[in-house]
Amino acid sequence: MQRLLWELRRRLHAPSRNPRTAVVIGRLLGAAFLVCMATGLYSHFIQEPLPGMAFLTRPIWLYQVSQGIHISAGILCFPLIVAKLYAVFPELFQIPPVKGPLGLLERGSIALFVASSLVQITIGLLNTYQWYALFPFPFRQTHFALSFVIIGSLALHIAIKLPVIRQYWFAANADVPMEREDDAAFQPVAGSIAPLRGVTGRVFAWIDKTPAPSTSRRSFFAVVGVAGAALVTLSAGQSFKVFDATNAFGPRKNGVGPSGLPINRTAKKADVVEAALSPDWRLTVLGSSVATLSRADLLALPQHTVELPIACVEGWSQMATWSGPRLRDIIDAVGGRPDATIRVQSLEQGSIYATSELPANFARDELTLVALTLNGDVLDIDHGYPARLIAPARPGVLQTKWLSSLEVLS
Amino acid sequence: MRVVRGILGAVGVLVILGGGLVLLDLVDPSKYLGIVLWFAGALIIHDGIVAFGVFGVSLLLRRRFSGGSLAIIQGALVIAALFTAIVVPEILKQGIGTANPTLLPLDYGRNLMVFYVVLVALTAAVLVLNARLRRRVPTSHTADASQV
Repeated sequence: MQRLLWELRRRLHAPSRNPRTAVVIGRLLGAAFLVCMATGLYSHFIQEPLPGMAFLTRPIWLYQVSQGIHISAGILCFPLIVAKLYAVFPELFQIPPVKGPLGLLERGSIALFVASSLVQITIGLLNTYQWYALFPFPFRQTHFALSFVIIGSLALHIAIKLPVIRQYWFAANADVPMEREDDAAFQPVAGSIAPLRGVTGRVFAWIDKTPAPSTSRRSFFAVVGVAGAALVTLSAGQSFKVFDATNAFGPRKNGVGPSGLPINRTAKKADVVEAALSPDWRLTVLGSSVATLSRADLLALPQHTVELPIACVEGWSQMATWSGPRLRDIIDAVGGRPDATIRVQSLEQGSIYATSELPANFARDELTLVALTLNGDVLDIDHGYPARLIAPARPGVLQTKWLSSLEVLS
Repeated sequence: MRVVRGILGAVGVLVILGGGLVLLDLVDPSKYLGIVLWFAGALIIHDGIVAFGVFGVSLLLRRRFSGGSLAIIQGALVIAALFTAIVVPEILKQGIGTANPTLLPLDYGRNLMVFYVVLVALTAAVLVLNARLRRRVPTSHTADASQV
């Protein structure tokens, strides 16, 4: 077995598989993980803020861009993780497989790091396809918890590999052999080991006879670069307009949907069709006084037109033109205090979409509307007819559709 | 460096444990088995199947091609495999059906075929270019190979 490991390891040795490659790819992958973590936490806490947390209303595309970056960086992790695993491939056949208790911990931590990273990017990708049936656990909670496991594993991995990272951080040292004891494993004394017999022996003998591959580091990086660039170019159109023309694989497409805007939750799914289309629909506004407003009442208020993106927690987003009265004008009419948080309620019941809260800075923002039209059309029922909330720099899940009430919280 | 490694390692272990606690706290115990199976699956698919698959494919390729061409073909295969892994689930999910027509609205199957065709064409072009360059300046290639 040991012989087999050694033989595998030796055959896998290639110019592109060396510590310098591992360090270069590792830096990129580590950076992508940190970017995903930061943008992911931003999305998490804007939905579930801890006490005392406040969020910015400008730039209006803050949330949109943060989540576009989140999924694009996540997609980039695929070629990077493949490259990283390729670069350290021979390590899989380490000899002996486990070196003492510390070695066991090291290999265990690597296994945890690799497994959690692979699971994380895979469920993240499947989430953008909304293919939840494939994993028998809740997406959001698992994705959130695993992000800490991954960042912790990254810190631990850097701690373990710090000497290697330091040595190969700069290109100048790229070809300096590594100073480590198991290097000897690569250079056994010639003829000291009897050749392996059987099929394995024949395969290895054949490998030794055929010319070795000459995958240079440069061409290896070129492949990783081409793969990454192609993935982003062909899928990032779901979040970034500049890539719309080349959007071949994005799960969403700009301009596809009612009034040219994609949707996530339909009125049918939310079970609000009847209530939303009812002529008796009224928006109840609860402040120090109470107002009940029909759609005609809302249209009679001063109307404003704003350009704001719908930016889904799944990462896709698109700009749109909305019009309707400002939220703050409606709140002022019922004597709401300017520093009050506003609770927004949907006709939809019992789902995460049913309600959202607007901190004062969002509620008072001049761009925050009770939207009645979208891209010049009467709001489509799947976009929240008769009225929906639209505010800058917020995730789509909090842009409550099919409004039923606004409540001024004390 | 020892202190830095110690601190970084300790912080790492704490954050991993924190993540584990968050997981146990947020996820219903009946779902734990599913997560464990996915972790095991990831390791088995990577360490057991993909790793040896790659080893095998690169061996088979070595038989037919050598030097620069081998690297180019390997690179193209890796890119094709990556796109297949990312786009095929999308096509399958589209086939099963989506929550609404604005989700997965494109013809991903056709787009993937177009992608393969473009990739093959580009790979062929790079192979030809590489062969020509090598014929023109044989010495520079050898220098290049020894440099890496």
